[in-house]
Amino acid sequence: MIKTTEAGPTRYLSAALGVAWRYLHNLYSRPSMFIPSLVFPLFFLAAFAGGLSVVGDAPSFDYYDFTAFQFCFILIQASTLAGVFAGFSIAGDFEMGMGRRIMLATRRRSSIVLGYGIGAASRLIVTWTIVTGVALAGGMQIAGGGFDLAGIYGIALLSNVAALLFSAGIALRFRSLSAGPLMQLPVFIILFLAPVYVPKELLTGWIEPVATVNPITALLNAARSLMAGEPTGVLTAYLVVFGLIALMGFWAIRGLRQAEQAG
Amino acid sequence: MSAADEGITAEDLVREFRNGPRAVDGISLAVEPGEIYGFLGPNGAGKSTTVHILTTLLPPTSGKATVGGFDVVDQGPAVRGVIGAALQEAALDPHLTAREHMRLQTALQGLPHAERVSRGDELIERVGLEEAADRKVGGYSGGMKRRLDLALALVHWPRVLFLDEPTTGLDPQSRSALWEEVERLSGEEGVTVFLTTQYLEEADHLANRVGIIDAGRIVAEGTPAELKSEIGRPSVVVAPSDPGRLEDTAAVLERFGKSLPAEKGTVEVRLDRGVDELGAIVRELDAAGIGLASLVLNEPTLDDVFLAKTGHHLEGEALPGEDDSGDDE
Ligand SMILES: Nc1ncnc2c1ncn2[C@@H]1O[C@H](COP(=O)(O)OP(=O)(O)O)[C@@H](O)[C@H]1O
Ligand SMILES: [Mg+2]
Repeated sequence: MIKTTEAGPTRYLSAALGVAWRYLHNLYSRPSMFIPSLVFPLFFLAAFAGGLSVVGDAPSFDYYDFTAFQFCFILIQASTLAGVFAGFSIAGDFEMGMGRRIMLATRRRSSIVLGYGIGAASRLIVTWTIVTGVALAGGMQIAGGGFDLAGIYGIALLSNVAALLFSAGIALRFRSLSAGPLMQLPVFIILFLAPVYVPKELLTGWIEPVATVNPITALLNAARSLMAGEPTGVLTAYLVVFGLIALMGFWAIRGLRQAEQAG
Repeated sequence: MSAADEGITAEDLVREFRNGPRAVDGISLAVEPGEIYGFLGPNGAGKSTTVHILTTLLPPTSGKATVGGFDVVDQGPAVRGVIGAALQEAALDPHLTAREHMRLQTALQGLPHAERVSRGDELIERVGLEEAADRKVGGYSGGMKRRLDLALALVHWPRVLFLDEPTTGLDPQSRSALWEEVERLSGEEGVTVFLTTQYLEEADHLANRVGIIDAGRIVAEGTPAELKSEIGRPSVVVAPSDPGRLEDTAAVLERFGKSLPAEKGTVEVRLDRGVDELGAIVRELDAAGIGLASLVLNEPTLDDVFLAKTGHHLEGEALPGEDDSGDDE
């Protein structure tokens, strides 16, 4: 037997995949871990497809399909929350001591954040399948083509990454599950300060200027335009979400340094 | 090869906690390659904090340390590559089996894919967990968890091994099995071992060299034999047959040496001159008409060294099984 480990980059990726594997393993071997993250999106989908769909009949609502309109929000919401829930797992790991095992066994520790990121993104396969399946069963019409759809899921994926990095930053600073609300609340608030139920043009009052500067609005509008097969503002949306990822990546790595200082 | 290239060195390590004490207060030491170094001290002495600094889990407030030739602050990734550690609280995931832990650990350490399973199985077998390998760790006993933790620490053939109170709370059989494994690692594989303990017997039995730590400082260091010969003189413990005559017994014995804190119903003194005084002691007790229930001569122990250096006894010095204060989880 060769008593040696892999060289730098291979080892880095191997550590990240180890973290991701354990994350997914624990997630799917315990339903109590992944069901809550699906409850919200499915609840909203049911609500919209049901009673709230009268909003879609309002004369000023000119999107082609109300379910498709809501689906874009729900997809982004579900993907974002999946990122936040992965942050919970990071906090839990540090609280129960697994964080130390992982910190001790990895050389370059940013591989830990990458690992949870890979885990959080991988769980989207299940989230997307369920959310999309339910929407299609509820009669959602897709006007855009395959390329447009890829654009929508791309936005959802990148929102997931940004949310994971945001919550990882909090989890690594507090290293306790009690920081859960600090991860979840800001994400909830920013999601609902976007044009959730009606297009931005129909928003009135204080929420209108807030929605205008909310980065989620750009993502949502782009996703809805792609869904309708009439892409507008897609480049802007991607620039916005990559900007968020850069910002949150910095925040997460700084959090990692804090965790290292605290022991 | 020296402590500086392959072993462990520390110079004036200090760690202050924001709302706490100076947990580590100027520790300097050198552990030679292949040596078993025993870090002996009571609860709260600063043993774990020292281990955390040396394993790159916690940066020192000041001072310098190297492990395997790498600086623990500036070369953290390289240090982590050559060390294995089993911390005081074995960090295990109750939802994973032993084999799944191995899968995680071999991935984290970047073992080549082809070797992961065989390496994991080999180590599980070495610590005697084959039977339980596919059971979730949540149901393991304290001893099984320790064994798995040790096995996980060895996955990547570390040259330096840190064991933080590895036998606290273990039954005597598990303890001797662990001692054997540590001796084998050091003797056959040349692994440098840094082991912390609250147990005198453990330091005495296992360590080539012992550092005695109290309140963040090393108060004595040397081989167990050296440390004991520093104290040099045995003590005598007498229990009078009539408990009412304890004070008279003490009065006689104190003519021969300094009295030590002793168990109820007994008197203990460290003899000023040594074993030759034993005859005189017996004669004088007899002359005073004090009957004896027992008389025991104690050779100096590491606890005597500890007492001599710090003025107090080691807490929790009794091994589990002899005393039930061990904190089994
Ligand atoms: N994270 C921390 N924050 C504050 N004080 C701490 C922390 N960790 C340890 N201490 C304190 O530092 C001292 C040494 O602790 P430790 O190194 O765990 O001792 P030992 O391992 O010898 O029992 C103790 O007084 C302990 O309470
Ligand atoms: Mg300790």
